Order: sequence, then structure tokens, then C-alpha cells
Amino acid sequence: MSSDDNRATSSVDAGLATGIGTDTPDGEPLVRVENLQKYFWENDSLLDRLLGDEPVAVQAVDGVSFEIREGETLGLVGESGCGKSTTGETLLRLQEPTDGRVEFAGTNVYEMEGSDLTAFRREAQVVFQDPFSSLDPRMTIGDIVQQPLDIHDVGADEERRERVRDLLERVGLSVDQLDRYPHEFSGGQRQRIGIARALALEPEFLVLDEPTSALDVSVQAQVLNLLEDLQAEFDLTYLLISHDLSVIRHICDRVAVMYLGEIVEIGPVEELFEDPKHPYTKALLESVPRATTDERERDRETLAGDVPSPRDPPSGCRFRTRCPMVIPPEDLDIDQDTYRELMTVRERIESRDISLETVGDDDQFTVEDGSVPEADIPAFVAALKRRLFDEPLPPHHDEIVETALTELAASNWEDAAAILRTEYESVCERDHPGLGNNTHSVACHLYGTAADFEGAVDPNSWRG
Amino acid sequence: MTDTDDILRVNDLSTRFFTEQGQVNAVDELELRIERGEVFGIVGESGSGKSVTARSVIDLIDAPGEIIDGEIWFDDAELAETVREDAPDAVDGSFVDLLSVSPAVRQSLRGTSFSMIFQDPESSFNPSLTVGEQLAEAVEVQRRASANPRSTKAKTDSAEYSFGNLLLSTVLPSQQFVTEESRERAIELLELVGIPDPVERADEYPHEYSGGMLQRAMIAQALAGEPDVLIADEPTTALDVTIQAQILDLLDDLQTETGMTILLITHNLGVVARMCDRVGVMYAGEIVERGTLEDVFDDHVHPYTEGLLGSIPELGGANGQLEPIGGNVPSLLDHEMEDRCHFADRCPMAMEDCLDHPPEFDAAGSEAHTVRCVLATQSYTEREALPPNYFGDTERPAGDKHAEPAHSDGEQPAERTRTTISDSGGESR
Repeated sequence: MSSDDNRATSSVDAGLATGIGTDTPDGEPLVRVENLQKYFWENDSLLDRLLGDEPVAVQAVDGVSFEIREGETLGLVGESGCGKSTTGETLLRLQEPTDGRVEFAGTNVYEMEGSDLTAFRREAQVVFQDPFSSLDPRMTIGDIVQQPLDIHDVGADEERRERVRDLLERVGLSVDQLDRYPHEFSGGQRQRIGIARALALEPEFLVLDEPTSALDVSVQAQVLNLLEDLQAEFDLTYLLISHDLSVIRHICDRVAVMYLGEIVEIGPVEELFEDPKHPYTKALLESVPRATTDERERDRETLAGDVPSPRDPPSGCRFRTRCPMVIPPEDLDIDQDTYRELMTVRERIESRDISLETVGDDDQFTVEDGSVPEADIPAFVAALKRRLFDEPLPPHHDEIVETALTELAASNWEDAAAILRTEYESVCERDHPGLGNNTHSVACHLYGTAADFEGAVDPNSWRG
Repeated sequence: MTDTDDILRVNDLSTRFFTEQGQVNAVDELELRIERGEVFGIVGESGSGKSVTARSVIDLIDAPGEIIDGEIWFDDAELAETVREDAPDAVDGSFVDLLSVSPAVRQSLRGTSFSMIFQDPESSFNPSLTVGEQLAEAVEVQRRASANPRSTKAKTDSAEYSFGNLLLSTVLPSQQFVTEESRERAIELLELVGIPDPVERADEYPHEYSGGMLQRAMIAQALAGEPDVLIADEPTTALDVTIQAQILDLLDDLQTETGMTILLITHNLGVVARMCDRVGVMYAGEIVERGTLEDVFDDHVHPYTEGLLGSIPELGGANGQLEPIGGNVPSLLDHEMEDRCHFADRCPMAMEDCLDHPPEFDAAGSEAHTVRCVLATQSYTEREALPPNYFGDTERPAGDKHAEPAHSDGEQPAERTRTTISDSGGESR
């Protein structure tokens, strides 16, 4: 990469050198993320090691790959804790990755050193979520916006001040507010200051980490419009991180949906919103309440349960513990809802999340040393079954469940789980579904080889 | 409107905060009618006074805030009988004016008649007690209150709740003020709100719960006294969309099951559309437009309502450039508020008549539809329009047409409500 390659400069920054060459060969993406991994380690202090505690990995981002082409906006959407912010920070090298590779304009970001790294820092900027804590309360906004210019030693003093004034006007603040402090501004105005600061060095690429989630809707709309205008004016490339699907839909060209550290679906925004493939994407879209009068009548299926812990993510497909379309074994004749219920019960047995002491009415069964007296076992099994299942099971499955629950009566958790596992093991837990490499890709067995199985559900049968 | 169904009538409610910067008119002469069994939504931006309204109704306004004027009539025949002797003025038929009865009576209604769920479940629970204990405590208080309805305060002041007793309870189980029945009821409540394995979950601490489960637990706690009116202050704002959908469904089910009335405070118009029968849009301490869901969403008159709805990016399709409202939520400081339509300075259709404070006009649509805007009675004409820079220097930097108006005369930009209201409003207890 040539470091003296000056980009065509606008009137504003005439004479301000931008260092990095951002010319990308035709068709090459500006940012390429390959198999990015970021684990945070718990119990990893010296004391923990002396005490012999095993470090635990929080798998915040686990094997994420995507590309961002020049001038486009890629949205990264998901629920809290899915790793979307960590992805943004890691690809900017604000966090060191555990594994994987990020290329910016063809150069590996994690191998950059010295002037290359400084140049990258200039070209890739970030706007943070919280406009109240991301501005230094002891600096005037003029100083805040000028700081990047000072650090990177761009231009002479007068030029810098001129540039700050231009920037503030550009984001819609007036120049006579230069000497004010952040606390004198409202949330929307502060977010504008954050955007001005990010633009100070004329970056190519901006990571917008929930830029509007701290703002009221009317102010959010102002900021979204501003971001769109700026992108058109300065040919910016955005990575927009948000949990708000309507914001994503409004401003992005392509979207990646994240769940528990992985991308489950990626595609053009239109296509993904009109024709979502992954059951999680569908559920996510279903869950958003629409601001129309039809909303009360709209039937929608809600996802049960919570996101599992990223310390110990489920095997295979990570969404399988909540997925309403989890795929039954191919030779099994079973109703989808019943299968979902069975899988949920199985997970509870595997995680020993059932209290045996409280089965039945008031102390009906005495559990001694973990087991119920021989004579009580049938009654115990019946009571436990009533508690775990809302509806009676079909006879064949009823038998299997009873055998498993009988094992529980003696607290044989492993055996109970094993019985159910042999009968009901799903492809979703065995194999990790890969994300294809198409324009619209989805990591779900319903669309891979599994979709050819006879027992598989029609992916379009569930749209709530 | 048929008034026989009203459970709550709020007249002329004014809540002020007396701060160092001056008097903040958080809620200003607010009128509210809520029917029994309905879900009434109050929607507005931060600092519009929606939380303060809710807290005023349940009497949770702390210094420096004060309800300085108004009446809150609550329909409860039994209560009316009890109060009639002591305060005949406070009773009208089966209605009781909560602001003219003694604080003790008001307090006794909390939990049994009114209950509240807060925005942030994580900070609303005591981290050092198990969820089961905290629920059982709520049940216990309600049980004792219903045993002797009008003297909860006397009960909680008694020896059973003394500090010495608290210390004793750590060693002697017999001294614990949570009885076995309360514990069982707590478990029932957890089951009612859909927490799996409630028996085990009751013994866990709040940090072991996920956000959605804690919100369920808080709803359970609010239901402990089987309240007539549940006030939900941004109940899903801290939650993810899939969990939000679960919690909204839960509230919906519980409402159908128990027939309770819900006053829902939110900034999310989608949540309003999902849950509410009637809506009030709040702006600068007033309800500027109210009516049925259809009135407000489809037949709205007020430009602020229009602006709010126009600000939301649509999920169903790209709606081009958003049409945001310019400017910021106005200052609620008394000396900065003029006696005019408070929205006029941001309003794209401000006219000369807007310089007088508008009353509530009836508007087209259902009977309940009223709007605090002159556009209900006349249409917008260029001739009467206010000049663009009427409200000070609103000249915007040329580069950005979405800019907020600059504040030229050294006046502080709209900031104040954050510092004043957030101490008392919001979620903490």
C-alpha cells in the first residue's frame, strides 16, 4: 500500500494529507471480515490459575464473515448480547481478535504497524451509542472535534480551526456554539458532535454503533437523515450496528442478522425483510410491533425462552433451543409443536433444570437420596409428565417419555437424557449449519441438505 | 363518553418540580378519564411529562416535586363508604378524590388498588434477597393490608417490622415476617406470569434471572395485591424485541383474565398500537391529542402527532426520507414557557392563533377524540402563518436542512428536563 497516495481532496481539506491508499481493485470489497472470533476469558487472573480454576470463554463473536463494499451500508442487527458491538469494535482493532482476519482495502488490519496503522485509524472511524458518555465533559465541542486533527497532526492551526467550523456547520450545529461544553447540548445535538468528530479526518469507513438508540424518535429521524446525506456527499461506507429493525430497513443496503455470536442470515435489505429465510429472522421481524391500527389484530408467534449463555452455546445450530421449526429425525412421525415441546423438556433434563422434590401435591412423594420409593414411581412419573407437558402425547412418544421419566425418579439424569437423545436427536444439534456464500445466504438446515429429508418441515409453513 | 364506566377521573392535575433552575411544569392542568377494564396509553418523548403523570396518579412524587393542584377521582364504593365519615368532601357517589384524603389512605391503596411496574427490572429488585422473598413480602404486606384495609402503615410500623426483628430473623426462622402461605402465593404468582419451574426460581437471586424473566417477576409482584389499576411505565423499553413481544402478550393475557385496567406509559408507538384501546399523546406536560387508537393513528389533527408518526422508519417498506420534527423537546421551566401552544415553535403549520394557548377541541372521528390545536376548527392558511423566524433565530446552517434551531441569545438549549425529572421520574424505587 502506498502511503503517500493522496485522495482527491475537497475544498475543505485542501492541503490536509490523507495517508492511506483506499483505492480498491474493481469488485474488491473495502472491508472483508473472515472468520472473525473474539472470546473474552473469565477466571483468567493469576489468582484463578493458582487456585486451579479453568478459564471460561465467553464466545462473544464466533466465526463471523462478511464483506462491505465501497459506498454501501451494511447493517448488523441482533438482540443484546449477540456480539454485534464486539464485532464492530474488533474489526476496528479496538479489541484484539482471538482469531480471524480483517482486511481493509486489501491489507490485513491485524498485521498493520506504524504508519500503516495510523493511516487505518484515520480511514476508519466510529460513532458510539451513548452521546452522554462518549464526549469528554471537560472539553469544549470545538476541542472535541479538533482533537483527531491534533492527534494526527493534520494541517496548520488555522486550517484545523477552519475545518472544525465547516464540520460543525455540516452536521447542523452553529459555529457560535464552538466554545460550549457537551452538557449544554441535548442528546441529538451531542450525537451530531460525535458524528462531526468521526468525520474530522475524512474517513472512508464509519462504524455506527447504535447511533440513535439513545434518542427520541423525532430526533432519531433527524440523525438518520443526516447520516444518509453525509454518506451521499462524502462517499462514506457504513457498518451500522443496531437492534432496531426499522432503522436498519430504512438506511441499510444489506443486512446481517446475528444470533449468539454468529451470523445466521445475510442479504440485501429488501429481500431479507420481504422474504426472511431463517426462523430467527422471521421471529425477529414478527416481534416488532407496528405503529398502525392493524397491529392489535395482527397474529404473531412469539419466541419462547431466552438467549442461551455464550459461555456454553448449544451444539450445532445455536438457535435450536428456541427454534419453532427445529427439524425432527427423518423417520419420526411427529407433530412439529410436540417435537418442540419434547426438545425443550430434553434440554431441561440435560441441564438438570427440573426440581424433583416438588413434583406432585404437597410432599406427595418423598425423595430420599435422590430417588422415589419403588411403589410411588408410576404416580411420580404421571405427575411429572403432567407438569412438563400441556397436552397428552401420542402413544408411541408417551411410552418413550415415560421410560425416560422413570429414570428421573431415581435421579438418573444422564440415562434419562440418553434415552431421549437416541430417539429424538435432531440434525440441528449434530451439525453446525454453514452460512453459504450467496448474495442472500442463510445458516439453517431447512435450506441445506436437511431440507431434502422427508420429515423436514416446509420452511414457509411457519410465519406466525 | 359514558361516565358510568370510568374508574379514574383526573381533573386539572398539575405537578411541579421546584429546582435550582426554576419551577418545572412537568404536568400542567391535565385531564384524564380511564374506563374500567381498558388499556389507556400515554405516549410522548422523554421529558414530556408522561412518567410524572403516572407517578402523580399513584402518589409517588418525591421532593422537589409536588402535586400542586387537581383532583384524582377513583371509583371504589367500599372506599367511599369508609372515607365518607372522615372526609365527606372527598366523596362523590362511589368516587373518592385521592388528593383530598389522608396520605395513609392513599398509601393503603397502593398494591391493592393501584400497582406499578417500572422500566428497568434490574434496578427494581433488591439484589441481596431472593426473588421469592421479595414477592412473598409484597404478598404479605397486601394480605395484612386486606385483613385491616385502611391501616397498612400502622401495620408496617409495628414491632414485626422493627430493625431488631430484622436482625433476629436472620437467626430465628420463626421471626421471619414472611409466612409460608405468602411464599406459596409468591410461587403461584411466578407461575402465573409464566416463569418455568417457579419453585426453584423463587429461591434464586435477581442476578440469576434474565431481563425478561425479571420483568415477569416484577409484574408478578405488582399483581400480588390484585390491583384494579396497573400502571406500566415503559415496561418493555429495556428489553429485546422478542422478549418485548413475550411481555406484551403476557400483559394482554393477564388483562383479559383479571379485567384490570392498565395505564401504559411508553415512547414506542408500536407498543401503543399493540396494546391500547385509547391513547393520549403528551407534549410539554399536556395531552395534546387523545382518542381511540384509530383517531390518533389514522385521523390525527395535531401536527405533533403527525410528526411523531412520520419520524418512525417503516418496517414494511422504505419510506424515503423520514420527516422528522425540527428542534427539541421544549423547556418546561415556568419562566421559559409562554402562554401559547407549546408546539408552535417546532410546528410547520404555526399560525397567529397559535399564540393563544389552545383549549381542547372536539375533532372528527370517535366521540373521545379531542385535540389541543386550532387546526381542529380552522384550516391552515398561508395568510395567517407566522413568519419562519418568529420564535427567535431559527436560521439554519445551509448545509443541513434537518438542523435544530440554533440558540442565539445565550439561552440554554433544551436540556433541563433531563436533570430535573430524571431524579424523580424513571425507574428506581
